[in-house]
Amino acid sequence: MAGKGFFIDTTLCTACRGCQVACKNWNRNGTIPTKNTGSHQNPPDLDGNTFKLVRFSEVETDGKLAWYFFADQCRHCLVPPCKDTIEGYVDDAVIQDEATGAVVFLEKSKEAPHEEVTSSCPYDIPRHRENGPMVKCTMCIDRVSNGLKPACVKVCPTGAMNFGELDEMIALANERLAKLKPKYPKAQLLDADQVRVIYLVVDDPKKYHKNAVASLNPGIDRKTALRRMARPAKGLIRTFVGV
Amino acid sequence: MTNHWIDFANSDCILIMGSNPAENHPISFRWIMKAKDKGGVVIHVDPRYTRTSTKADIYAPLRSGTDIPFLGAMIKYIIENNKYFNDYVVNYTNASFIVGEKYDFKDGLFSGFNAEKRAYDASTWAFEMDEKGVPKKDPTLQHPRCVFQLLKKHYSRYDLDTVSTITGTPKEDMLKVFEAYSTTGARDKAGTILYAMGWTQHTVGVQNIRAMTIIQLLLGNMGIPGGGVNAMRGESNVQGSTDQGLLYHILPGYLPTPSASLAKLEDYNKKFTPVTKEPLSANWWQNRPKYVVSFLKAMFGDAAKPENEFGYGWLPKLEDGKSYSWLDLFDAMYRKELKGFFSWGMNPACSGANSNKTRAAMANLEWLVVVNLFDNETASFWKGPGMQPKQIKTEVFFLPCCAFLEKEGSISNSGRWTQWRYKAQEPLGQSLPDGDIIYELFNEIRALYKKDKAGKFPDPILNLKWDYAEGKHFNPHLVAKAINGYWTKDVTIKDKTYKKGELVSAFALLQDDGSTSSGNWLYCQSYNQDGNNMARRDKTDETGLGLYPKWSWAWPVNRRIIYNRASLDLTGKPWNPKRPVLEFVGDVADGKYTSIKWKGDVPDGPWYPLKNPDGTAREDGKLPFIMKVDGIASIFGPGLKDGPFPEHYEPIECPVEKNPLSPQLTNPVVPEYTTEKDVIKTCDPRFPFVGTTYRVTEHWQTGVLTRWLPWLIEAEPQVFVEMSEELAKLRGFANGEKVIVESPRGSLEAVAIVTKRFRPFKVLGQEVHQVGLPWHFGWVWPPEGGESANLLTPSTGDPNTRIPESKAFMVNVRKKG
Amino acid sequence: MKLTRRDFLKISGAATAGLALSGMGLDLSTVEAYSWQLRTKDAKETTTICCYCSVGCGIICHTDKKTGQVIYTEGDADHPINGGSLCAKGASSYQIAQNEKRMTKVLYRAPNSSKWEAKPWDWALKEIAKRVKKTRDATFTLKNQKGQVVNRCDGIASVGSAAMDNEECWIYQAMLRALGIVYIEHQARI
Repeated sequence: MAGKGFFIDTTLCTACRGCQVACKNWNRNGTIPTKNTGSHQNPPDLDGNTFKLVRFSEVETDGKLAWYFFADQCRHCLVPPCKDTIEGYVDDAVIQDEATGAVVFLEKSKEAPHEEVTSSCPYDIPRHRENGPMVKCTMCIDRVSNGLKPACVKVCPTGAMNFGELDEMIALANERLAKLKPKYPKAQLLDADQVRVIYLVVDDPKKYHKNAVASLNPGIDRKTALRRMARPAKGLIRTFVGV
Repeated sequence: MTNHWIDFANSDCILIMGSNPAENHPISFRWIMKAKDKGGVVIHVDPRYTRTSTKADIYAPLRSGTDIPFLGAMIKYIIENNKYFNDYVVNYTNASFIVGEKYDFKDGLFSGFNAEKRAYDASTWAFEMDEKGVPKKDPTLQHPRCVFQLLKKHYSRYDLDTVSTITGTPKEDMLKVFEAYSTTGARDKAGTILYAMGWTQHTVGVQNIRAMTIIQLLLGNMGIPGGGVNAMRGESNVQGSTDQGLLYHILPGYLPTPSASLAKLEDYNKKFTPVTKEPLSANWWQNRPKYVVSFLKAMFGDAAKPENEFGYGWLPKLEDGKSYSWLDLFDAMYRKELKGFFSWGMNPACSGANSNKTRAAMANLEWLVVVNLFDNETASFWKGPGMQPKQIKTEVFFLPCCAFLEKEGSISNSGRWTQWRYKAQEPLGQSLPDGDIIYELFNEIRALYKKDKAGKFPDPILNLKWDYAEGKHFNPHLVAKAINGYWTKDVTIKDKTYKKGELVSAFALLQDDGSTSSGNWLYCQSYNQDGNNMARRDKTDETGLGLYPKWSWAWPVNRRIIYNRASLDLTGKPWNPKRPVLEFVGDVADGKYTSIKWKGDVPDGPWYPLKNPDGTAREDGKLPFIMKVDGIASIFGPGLKDGPFPEHYEPIECPVEKNPLSPQLTNPVVPEYTTEKDVIKTCDPRFPFVGTTYRVTEHWQTGVLTRWLPWLIEAEPQVFVEMSEELAKLRGFANGEKVIVESPRGSLEAVAIVTKRFRPFKVLGQEVHQVGLPWHFGWVWPPEGGESANLLTPSTGDPNTRIPESKAFMVNVRKKG
Repeated sequence: MKLTRRDFLKISGAATAGLALSGMGLDLSTVEAYSWQLRTKDAKETTTICCYCSVGCGIICHTDKKTGQVIYTEGDADHPINGGSLCAKGASSYQIAQNEKRMTKVLYRAPNSSKWEAKPWDWALKEIAKRVKKTRDATFTLKNQKGQVVNRCDGIASVGSAAMDNEECWIYQAMLRALGIVYIEHQARI
């Protein structure tokens, strides 16, 4: 598969949240007023100013405590349902960059029905700005197109965040999986053949985050979601329609 | 740190205890994870399961304030299971030294205790000397009064069952840690300890570190790559500001501050220049007079002359035996002994223990100068909670300093790397670099003393060398060169002539006759004839161990691992040939070394090894621990105020009435403060839970900078109190509920984080709960951020360092209103 | 119809940066990738070291050559310790450089006053110098109770600062000691 990809090894993540801040820094994103609600996860969810969020999850399995960190972001699906949804309503509001495979929302996405776009995403990623466009991770396409790594990857101290050619990322992911499997029998890659952002987890993915794997959304069951993902999106065969 | 950040990757076993580097030194994990990837074992011992614990192979919980029992049990385990590195222990430590007959330890007290003075007479802990004045030794370690046997006896009481009932650590967890860590006693294995304020901020702070040092010496882990005793310091330049003597007890370069009984420079040198009769000891501090005189020359320039003792008389003298530390300073301020106060780049209203005392004390001042980037609880104390501005007469000056990226200069990290930074933009608004503010302020003060001939003791003010500006602005290069030092006259040494005005190349050349100046001998070489070595950016790494000797500069003399000659056997060959940081490679003839040549890191002294390749001893060799008077490392440490071996004492406020290890519950020589604000309650049912303070990744110290940064305050917006589910149930708290945390000294509201990451401890058959809070918040900003956890902490501390006991105290948590 | 790079630049304007491309009403999937531009392209790079913990991570500041203002900060990829990485605090250095809450004026609070007043630097330094001299002269101890010479100013104390550069620390200790101040502390104990 051509284009770029991420490999996110959650076993190396220390939740320093460098990525969460670096994303805001590069994208000049602001903040929302937050409160401590009994968790270190903040802001509580992705939002119009937060494209990358470290999710904290405390779980106990067989009396053993684990504290999982999940650096959530857009998966840049190979066949992005969000694009399909947006384009069902408005033209020229989303692109899937040919060279990288990055899925990028444009200004006109504000005309798309926000909730429907969000619910069409198997990972519950797209958000919108107040009276503004739909937003999410852009794969730092401006950085990547100029030979740099995305801000969240560059900032990562431990190698949890990786970026490169998708093929190389898949190879790296499989290599890490093979290394971890003996110690962690539940180790797995998440939806690796569907997305450009591949996570490695060592436990039931739901214990990390309810949307860690492609999952149910209102009105869409998992099968439908996957079917939609697998269907060639009409955006891919669209041609230029003029200025 | 004896080692440095990148060196963590060279370790086979990393013990993280008294610290939480994943949260407070996050980039350290870049190297810790590399060690782990190579098969190294990571251990975290902490009261709370933290972001660090998530990456540990072994996590063991431990009640705050009980590190010595844990480490004491490890010492016992290492000795009884023969895990120690015998050759290292015999040759490089004082394990073989015979302690005098007056030494004793009974009922939790060492010999020489004076109950009235609450102090020890340490002369009873002295070694037995031979006729030449060298300590007597038994290299077989069998003599009943040799250090090794005394150590064994001392910790024989620290059995797993007893210790487990004190620390609350399950026995099997403790054993797992001991087994894993003691494998580094093998000569080809390295173990390191990473600690921070979790060890120092206790009434047994120094002894916590001593206990671990003993372990590192038993296992032969000092001086080797992947080993060492590594304090992860909390601020970007707290290493540097310590090196530069911004503390009451030291001048730059760890020269003790003079006291009243040392009237003359000669008295000072006599007291602080150690003498040894051990022929193999380098005893580096014998050079102290050179460093003192060179410092005085840097301070007073041409005015420092032999006839005026180089201006020694101009230095202020402390009262003998009196401490002027943080706790003492605010105690004096509270008792109205102080009138003026500079709070420079700090926020004591939130940062020191017992903040209510600190805040009340500031109202006793006539004037206060605050220098900072943002408003803070110190500058605005007069309008803080409970304050009546109209009744507070303190004048306050707020001087805005600029940010680090708006000026040029050097800072020293924990690994002693001194790195130069550059200016990226002009200071914001009217803010100024600290250097400019200090420089101009002193010019104003000096001008007043020049004008007023009746000013008190104007000599040091008028004679201070103060030519560090270029044009209108303070120039850090001029100071950096002064810190390095100059030749003050033409001098010829061994056929080489050094010209007046040249920079001194390194501290081995500093003189005690006034012919050299050096603001800080430890930094001599940082800025010399080769230029500004701190600014170097060459990434050559010949050893492959991550020393990067041409990147920036490290004190002393660019040595990257201190005591590195201890990584070698007696013939100068690495204990572990697979990971050599240093190696002696001099020529050999007939089994004897005939020339001096070293490979690798800068050796701890240039001398020959102790033995030739054929095993014969050399008289010109030197022992590796060159800063120690005897040339070896101290397992038995007679220099401290609270005993030569670490002994367990409970925190001053503790949840137990008994110490199963001795009848002595708490450290018998802790400092006591006696104002009405110094309330201490132990085993008081109103304060039944252990409290501790800590930090999170997203904030720094009192939050004086980070609370004002939107991205960070969004991520950690409010003060919280973490507690177990069991305690929350006991008190009827829901997760996320605002609750009251109170100690005998203060209280605050905090959001309850109810978590499985805190668990009750089983201590002496009882369930003991612990809670913890970050100390990053304060009332000034943000509006709903909450208050400082230091409102709760007690003003008492370690008898040696007087660091406050912020890491273990007693609190209550209860529902609001 | 395929859009060439030349056509595209003609339409969008050569200076278009990053996501400013959005809203053009184009299907940009056919546009060649290198038309995305870095917002730091023309900035001046300066190296510094992070101001928070003591790891000593390298940071690069990007400064707009026209305004002289820092527009972006990121980890220094050449730095051997952090290799371009940073934690949340280090990654937020930009908000130290550009922050409307920073104090940019000297403030003074008079005795018993309820408010701050803005003052010029010159005034403040002269006034502080007067306070220092007055207090020092009033509290200076030439000899202690035992009659030993101590030459000490007992009425003034200082805390700070590990937040200063070495060179600033050194001249600060020089000033304090010349004044005879002995209550000298910093962050080592907190």
